Amino acid sequence: MDHFPTNWGRPRNELYDQYNTFPLHQRPTNHTDTFTDGVQRTQQPIVTGTSVLAIQYKDGVMMAADNLASYGSLARFRDITRLHAVGTSTIVGASGDMSDFQYLQRVLDEIVTDEFTAGDGNSLGPAEVHEFLARRMYARRSKMNPLWNALLVGGIQNGKRFLAFVDLLGTTYSASSLATGYGAHIALPILRQDVDPNPDAITEEAAREILRKCMRVLYYRDARSLDKYQIATVTSAGVSISEAQKLDTNWDFAEKIRGYGSQTQ
Amino acid sequence: MFRNTYDSDNVVFSPQGRLHQVEYASEAVKQGSAVVGLRSKTHSILLALKRSLGELAAYQQKMYRIDDHVGIGIAGLTSDARVLSNFMRQQAMGSRMQFNRPIPVNRLVSSIADKAQVNTQEYGRRPYGVGFLVIGQDKNGPHLYEFSPSGNSYEYYAMSIGARSQSAKTYLEKHYESFIDCSLEDLIRHGLHALRETLQQDKELTISNTTIGIVGPAGAHEKDVPPEGGFRILENEPIQVYLSRMQPKRAPEEPAAAEQTGAANEPEEGATHGSTADEDVQMGE
Amino acid sequence: MTSIGTGYDLSASTYSPDGRIFQVEYANKAVENSGTVIGLRVKDGVVLAVEKIIHSKLLVPEANRRIQTVDKHIGLASSGLLADGRHIANRARDEAASLLSMWRSPPTVQALVDRVGLYVQAYTLYSSVRPFGCSTIIGGVDKTGPALFIIEPSGVSYGFHGAAVGKGRQLAKTELEKLKLSELSTREAVFEIARIIYLVHDDAKEKDFELELSWIGDETGGLHLPVPKDLYDEASRKAKESLENFE
Repeated sequence: MDHFPTNWGRPRNELYDQYNTFPLHQRPTNHTDTFTDGVQRTQQPIVTGTSVLAIQYKDGVMMAADNLASYGSLARFRDITRLHAVGTSTIVGASGDMSDFQYLQRVLDEIVTDEFTAGDGNSLGPAEVHEFLARRMYARRSKMNPLWNALLVGGIQNGKRFLAFVDLLGTTYSASSLATGYGAHIALPILRQDVDPNPDAITEEAAREILRKCMRVLYYRDARSLDKYQIATVTSAGVSISEAQKLDTNWDFAEKIRGYGSQTQ
Repeated sequence: MFRNTYDSDNVVFSPQGRLHQVEYASEAVKQGSAVVGLRSKTHSILLALKRSLGELAAYQQKMYRIDDHVGIGIAGLTSDARVLSNFMRQQAMGSRMQFNRPIPVNRLVSSIADKAQVNTQEYGRRPYGVGFLVIGQDKNGPHLYEFSPSGNSYEYYAMSIGARSQSAKTYLEKHYESFIDCSLEDLIRHGLHALRETLQQDKELTISNTTIGIVGPAGAHEKDVPPEGGFRILENEPIQVYLSRMQPKRAPEEPAAAEQTGAANEPEEGATHGSTADEDVQMGE
Repeated sequence: MTSIGTGYDLSASTYSPDGRIFQVEYANKAVENSGTVIGLRVKDGVVLAVEKIIHSKLLVPEANRRIQTVDKHIGLASSGLLADGRHIANRARDEAASLLSMWRSPPTVQALVDRVGLYVQAYTLYSSVRPFGCSTIIGGVDKTGPALFIIEPSGVSYGFHGAAVGKGRQLAKTELEKLKLSELSTREAVFEIARIIYLVHDDAKEKDFELELSWIGDETGGLHLPVPKDLYDEASRKAKESLENFE
């Protein structure tokens, strides 16, 4: 209850509070309601990363993402890491808005530190990290203010592989091979063919080769992708994120393309 | 009744650096009936003595379930216990919600300990007048913790709180080394023996005045326990089987001796508070 | 003591006629009767040790840890009211997280201690709260190297090479002064600190105790961690031996 009559709505005349008895710093102001014109929240991502790919294999989980952050169609930042280690058994890969991802990286680092400082031997595994992200993403979308990402969370928990997806709507699902963005259309069928029949049969080198193949396919077809990418692995030994590596590609076929651009015939 | 200048509120240190109000709050715990807790490699259990206000009244509730994997036994102000147990439930649900993980038991206990500490430091509050024994299990196995109004919490192999708990403690200290390898049945038997020590001379443990709380795999006499062996409370008929397996009370001189040692450690209990120690504390009084 | 019965010692917001705040001095009394806590700042790190008094044999050994972690690279140990120590540790964690989010680099121990010191001091200003009944040792390794501080109930903080609070602090300080702390390695410091804890523990008067050790330095990759079991065992064994030789 506000007991100052002057705050109960200010009439037009100056009859009230003629002697300025009301504390200055609490003077009712003629503020305009922020919501009178409505508010507009995030409608689209701004600086974006494209697909993330991930598969389960014999020793754990492997994830790949290129190093590009695009500004619209401009290849704006070419050395961005989109794979983030969370603790010692989890990897998170992000597509979508990169500033939202950077925010999430901070939040994830914070909960890892909280877990460490608790000092009781408990730690967060990929299942917990995935649940946490799913709750965060869903809470934000429910406020009509989503974090504009599609994320893959992979790792090892209690000796078992874990791989799951969560996006800006809070939608989650899990599979032995996953991809976000354009990769979900172009790369996922290839991944499913190679991985899903038997992930246990895939060695680390084979897994690396599968991802390399798909990254190459994506680089050929996805105009927001880059030929520089990183691969992260999570095994029982821990998380490791590779240095950036270059895709070897062959563009000879481009000569023969006819039908658009300057080469109309 | 008047003790000294430094005991009238909780924000005053005595010249010796003591907090008398906090110490008095710990006395409130001793007004409640006893709770005994002990643990083995596989189980943690609680045993409590329930009081009844009269023949037409039900027996009080001494144990609360917090989450599938945690439960508590209380001694002291029941209303404070309900506030704190509600808070614990919220913490537990929060962990399930945020991480889909059962909250580690030590963090749950620390969370109420930290809450209780604030009540010892700010004017206009009083320390909580209730003590808990908390049992639970997590990836490190079963645990037993004590929480007290001072905001301290400790992990124990075995512990007892409440009225005449010193007698039970004496029993536990004598036998605790054997608990770790006990079966659930033996553990309960030890617990009942310890709890029996807190009884007044003419009273006995019955299926009406005894409660048993358990975490750990199902015992030989238990039915319908899920494989995870979460927290469950046994009351009435189901505990008859455990009561029947107790060893008959020892010769009268022995428990009497034990009671004397207990009384020696808490000499002022009856005298200072002027109430018979077997009555419950009511918030209004 | 002229304090008792004067009425000037009942509130942290009251000065005595000679300008003392007795409630803060009484808070120090709570520290002076508690188990000793020692911190060493050496060449390549910091070591913390607590003389944990065992008030019941039913306690689970090694379970009730008294040394807390504030940030990955900062540890904290307090002597006095245990629950107050936990309150300060929780606040220190919040401060560390806040500094990290503000500057996006791990906070220096000095910066953290400054913030926590302000917090502790605020509890000496008002009649509506009591001061903290504990002295806190905070140690860590940051970009400036190893650092070690004590925060007292008054909120004042000092940096130390070797710090001791609690019951055995006088004897501990005498021992600390004999050490060449800036030349010691953390590994050597573990042995020294264990020896001193065993030395200051008064067997005759006090109950049993448990030694608790933690360290931060090159050996731990800059993390604040409990001293590993084998080193702990060796340190406490040597400490017991040296005690026998001492007597």
